[in-house]
Amino acid sequence: MRLTRRDWIRLASSCGAAQLLVPRMFGQQAAASKPLFAEVPPSASGITWVHENAMSPSRYLPEALGPGCAFLDFDNDGWIDIFLVNSGPSDFWKPTKPVRNALYKNNRDGTFTDVTEKAGVGGAYFGMGVAVGDYDNDGWPDIFVTSYGKCILYHNNHDGTFTDVTSKAGLATPGWTTSAVWFDYDNDGKLDLFVCSFVDYSGVKKLECGNNQIGRNYYCVPRVFKPTPSFLYHNNGDGTFTEVSKGTAIEQALGKGLGVVATDINNDGRMDLFVANDTVQNFLFMNRGSGPNGRWNWDEIALQAGVGFSDAGRPRSGMGLDAADINGDGWQDLFVANVDHEMFSVYQNNKDETFRDVAQENGVARATQLLSGWGMKYFDYDNDGLVDLFLANGHPDDMIDSYSMHVKYREPLLLFHQGADGKLHDVSSDAGPVFHRDFAARGLAVGDFDNDGAVDVLVGLNGGAPILLRNNAAAGNNWLGIKLEGDKANRDAIGAKLIWTASGKTRTRLKNNGGSYLSSHDPREVLGIGPATKIEQLTIQWPGPSTRVDKFTNLEVNRYVHIREGGEISEMPSAKGQAKTG
Amino acid sequence: MGWLRPSHFFSTLDGIIPSSMYKRTFVVALLFNLWNLTALSQAQTRAQSQPVLDPQQLVQDAIQRQRAGDLAGAVPEYQEFLKLHPEATAIHSNLGAALAGLGRYEEAVAEYRIALKQSPRLPSARLNLALAYYKMGRIADAAAQLEKVHIEDPSNHQALIVLGDAYLRMGQNKDVIRVLAPEAKNYPDDLAIGYMLGTAYIRNKQVEPGQVLVDRILRNGDSAEAHLMLGTAKMNIQDFAGARDEFAKAVALNPNLSDAHVLYAGALHLTGDSEQSSKEYQAGLAQDPYNFEANLQLGANAREEHDYGRAEQYFKRALETRPGDPGVLYQLALIDADQSRLDPARQKLEALVKEYPDFTEAHVSLSLVYYRLKRPEDGKREHAIVQRLNAEAQAKQPGVKQQ
Repeated sequence: MRLTRRDWIRLASSCGAAQLLVPRMFGQQAAASKPLFAEVPPSASGITWVHENAMSPSRYLPEALGPGCAFLDFDNDGWIDIFLVNSGPSDFWKPTKPVRNALYKNNRDGTFTDVTEKAGVGGAYFGMGVAVGDYDNDGWPDIFVTSYGKCILYHNNHDGTFTDVTSKAGLATPGWTTSAVWFDYDNDGKLDLFVCSFVDYSGVKKLECGNNQIGRNYYCVPRVFKPTPSFLYHNNGDGTFTEVSKGTAIEQALGKGLGVVATDINNDGRMDLFVANDTVQNFLFMNRGSGPNGRWNWDEIALQAGVGFSDAGRPRSGMGLDAADINGDGWQDLFVANVDHEMFSVYQNNKDETFRDVAQENGVARATQLLSGWGMKYFDYDNDGLVDLFLANGHPDDMIDSYSMHVKYREPLLLFHQGADGKLHDVSSDAGPVFHRDFAARGLAVGDFDNDGAVDVLVGLNGGAPILLRNNAAAGNNWLGIKLEGDKANRDAIGAKLIWTASGKTRTRLKNNGGSYLSSHDPREVLGIGPATKIEQLTIQWPGPSTRVDKFTNLEVNRYVHIREGGEISEMPSAKGQAKTG
Repeated sequence: MGWLRPSHFFSTLDGIIPSSMYKRTFVVALLFNLWNLTALSQAQTRAQSQPVLDPQQLVQDAIQRQRAGDLAGAVPEYQEFLKLHPEATAIHSNLGAALAGLGRYEEAVAEYRIALKQSPRLPSARLNLALAYYKMGRIADAAAQLEKVHIEDPSNHQALIVLGDAYLRMGQNKDVIRVLAPEAKNYPDDLAIGYMLGTAYIRNKQVEPGQVLVDRILRNGDSAEAHLMLGTAKMNIQDFAGARDEFAKAVALNPNLSDAHVLYAGALHLTGDSEQSSKEYQAGLAQDPYNFEANLQLGANAREEHDYGRAEQYFKRALETRPGDPGVLYQLALIDADQSRLDPARQKLEALVKEYPDFTEAHVSLSLVYYRLKRPEDGKREHAIVQRLNAEAQAKQPGVKQQ
């Protein structure tokens, strides 16, 4: 080796050492003829929309964070449609060509038709995320879009069109909002709304961070911006909302929120909120009910719960997150996807409002050491009855490849399967070709777009076309798909608990809402039962105000059913049968 | 650094070991091991019984044995002599050297201390005491003694080099520069000084003077030292993969260098190869059981794997190298907390935040421990401190200043 002084100066002055391109080592291909998840290309799906990230030489941070995506049934035909969020005009970007969100109607044959223009949901601001919920209990899903600029609430007109009712509803949330979640915090039967606020990006002159090691601006680490409080809106029941976070722990908790999930941490029947923050501590808002002063009591306990900081006392860069009962003990566990070198968190519920990070034991820590996670979902992808995990990743800095050989801008998707040992095992290398590619993934939603009971995946890519993944992994296992409809409870039945028994094995699921990153999932629940041929018993505990319990026995499987609060059950469209009323 | 351990300076026995033994080399640990093996071998073959000698004969015989490398034979004779003449300062020092040569450092330290108590300005005893501390991993104690040697004898080149190495191991880069920068002018071709000083400059972000020293290293062609310096520079600019490759070459060129293994391990860890990283840390420890970084990282790994006993062993050894290091003390507190030993954890954390009131992570953990001890008011107080510290840090950020 001979290095000249010039070599040394070049190296020391950080002008970019010579980089070797090391090809990614692919794992073994899936043994089965069909991959566990197969990409449905735009040519087959008809989804030709592409996200415009508005990437500029100045590298304004909002460019790097989108997009969100959603599975929803906007026309109530029993077939899941798709909504995709796009950027738009802002104080740092004026589009030179039309940029809009996209609503794709499911053609029931594996293809989709763009109906955005007719629906009137194209957006007007620099869009970020989407939260779908039936806030007025009319049986039709409405769409809330977050953004850098102003949020939009689209009310569903029941005829394939929507109306922007933001101002009337009082939801024109200012600043930079990211993930949002519909949930009924006071169990009054109407969906309320929590909206994550990211950083204060309101400066007249936008901060540019640079130059980096290749002499250009890069996306600022959010650490440099001021934190902000998030927003909680109470549903007044008349199409309007009142912001009720003032004076509560929610207002006092200054964060940089990117992800939120509504779940019930302590099984008290009230939905709590877990918020992933970037570069500051996460928040766990415990719902303590109504206080004597008429104000709702929220208690922020993330630090003492062990989910606020890393176990070495440091805040991490929380982005995506989720909640589910992973180990089947009846208590909700948590997950947070962080940035590279921070490792992701798998929080096991200790049943006393504290958690233990078991990412190391599960192999998740090692698998995610060099990745940055955004969209994600805990779900039973193979319908064997155990909850698995899907992660969408990508580094926020598009130039990271230029000065790091080990961290990439585009990163692989990860799939973890829960084994009989109760641990999550990385099966990505055997899950199909799409897991051997790299993406700038952001939002992720799950939903069964072909109604075959195998829950599919939609991933939003920053500056790219979304990826639609068909699930082939559930073949051979049986299932029951359920659309819950609250009567006294909120129509979407957020907060309902499902308890089912098949082949003598009883499992439970809480109908959480939110989670992932900027995205919204198929509202239906698919209960996987493995080789069992029927569900012997299904119990539904509806959330307040009724807290009614409905029970069903000997349910046939491999179909979708619609269950209304009160016990009425009817069949819905599925890939294997005609819809018929039961 | 690993290959510059001053074991070849060990036991500067007054007037017995010639100064030519102090010749610097980059591979010294091996020499030291060979020396020890020779001494042990000779000890094993030593005659079991010796005729009774008068004091003069005793000490002459002991010196002869020591010169011949029969340290185990020399020790009892020195001890016998000192029973008769405990005031013999030089013999305490000689005994210390013999004991150190046998690896009996605690006893050697005791003898050197007696010698220094009797004659505080006995430079060879102080240097030997420092070297004994160094070999025991008590690097801070070694540095303290070496500073005294340096004050008493500024021309002692050997003491300066070991002192520079001690500071480098302690992570006190500015002290390395303070001690070695003047010496580098006197010994411009000394590669050992060049490496240590260059590394300190690079770690201290002083690129320009670092370049000059790198040139000297590079002039000598492909060497482990050159790759280590280049790797360190690449680490500084966060080119972890590039650094990893440089360190790998250093390890291949000289597998006896503890720090080469440790730096390679760090780069492997940062590039995602945790398994190989652990192996390299272990290899580093095999060369130098008191390598601070290796003990710290392996301790952290063991803690992550919930192998708390092993983690404690590593951390305690790291503390021997850097007594009072707040990072290590924090890890030990976390081990207590992890195992629900909440009171010991609380005590350690309270001591830490008292000494380091801006140690935010320690406040976070102390808050958590208070909550688990059912002391919510204390937990809230600590949480408030965390929030204040974070707010202060946030207020210094550029994005805030612009708004």
